[in-house]
Amino acid sequence: MEESLEQILELSLTLLMLGGAVCACVFKDLLNAVIAAAFVSLMAAILFYFLQAPDVAMAEASIGAALTTAIFVIAIKKTKRVEEE
Amino acid sequence: MRILISCVLLVILSLGLVFALEQAPFGSNQIDNADKPGRFYLNQGMEKTGAANVVTSVVVTYRGFDTLGEVTILFIAAIGLGAVFHSRKKVKRYEKEKQSASLILQTGCRFLFPLIVLFGTYVFIHGHLSPGGGFQGGVIIASAFLLLFLGCEEKKIPMKSMNTVESLAGIIFVGIGLAGLYWGESFLENFLPRGMDYMLLSGGVIPIIYIAIGFKVGAELAGIVAGLIERNP
Amino acid sequence: MIVSIFLLVIGAAIVLCLIRLIKGPTATDRAVALDTVTTVTTALLVILALVFKRYIYLDVALVYAVLMFIGSVAIARFLEKGI
Repeated sequence: MEESLEQILELSLTLLMLGGAVCACVFKDLLNAVIAAAFVSLMAAILFYFLQAPDVAMAEASIGAALTTAIFVIAIKKTKRVEEE
Repeated sequence: MRILISCVLLVILSLGLVFALEQAPFGSNQIDNADKPGRFYLNQGMEKTGAANVVTSVVVTYRGFDTLGEVTILFIAAIGLGAVFHSRKKVKRYEKEKQSASLILQTGCRFLFPLIVLFGTYVFIHGHLSPGGGFQGGVIIASAFLLLFLGCEEKKIPMKSMNTVESLAGIIFVGIGLAGLYWGESFLENFLPRGMDYMLLSGGVIPIIYIAIGFKVGAELAGIVAGLIERNP
Repeated sequence: MIVSIFLLVIGAAIVLCLIRLIKGPTATDRAVALDTVTTVTTALLVILALVFKRYIYLDVALVYAVLMFIGSVAIARFLEKGI
């Protein structure tokens, strides 16, 4: 791959991850924050894959996609859903 | 006013981090002196241990004691959660009114559960040949049990056998280390024969340790998810 | 040349899904956006495995294709109050 295309791809992935992380902090409804956190984990897994580390990418994918999302959703079910100031 | 001060502090902190990390030579081709352990593992890892995946041979053989510590940390976390759940009452299923799953979801979950368990088993058995390993395979198996909890609710997961499997797998890991001490020279040494390259039964002790870790992590995380769903907060 | 066109189209798809994730009025819109971005990401991982010419990297795409279904099922069961 050409050098400039690699750099553009890395930069855009990092900016998308930053956007998702800001959203995860700002949303008041906690279910939306959990979905934004799953998006951040997805971008991190693509970045690890792009830097030629498939073991780490597979670990991040399996933990961030299913397990963390489901555990947070169960915790929201047993407490309140909207965060109040 | 508070937001302004916190933004200024964040900018100062990030500038400090960027200037500190600029000095480190990330990603450049270091020759000889600074990168000797890395070059040694890459060039001679496969000849000495027999595993095609160098990351696996580093995690299990060269740094095996750290992996034992990591498995212990997971075990302590599961014990802590078990201590919190022990004094809570179980949720009675017929007291709550909740909607049962639709027919499509029930059939789909029943069909997919053995396939996902098979895929997780593939990932941790071929740990020394393809990317993956014990931890990744264990998490996939725990996700299969989570699907069974969400989709079909009338199937009960036997929690006693989960605890038994987890404890047995931990004992097997430490037992292999002690066997290395008895037959070899040191704790967790690779004492089985090396085998041919790229075969399933190669690499000495590495497949056996990864099978034990896969079972242990899978049973542990499935037990944690079951405790979270079934107990009151 | 053709690989560049593929990567640009997939990048545009991910940006559109992020816009729906930020804008969407209800939580259901955001859940659908997350599922779509995972499917597009699986295609991106397969194309990158073709570009790097290492075919053992395809296992990572398989893991994502299987596990995102379970995350979507968890969010959907919470939204219909059945968890």
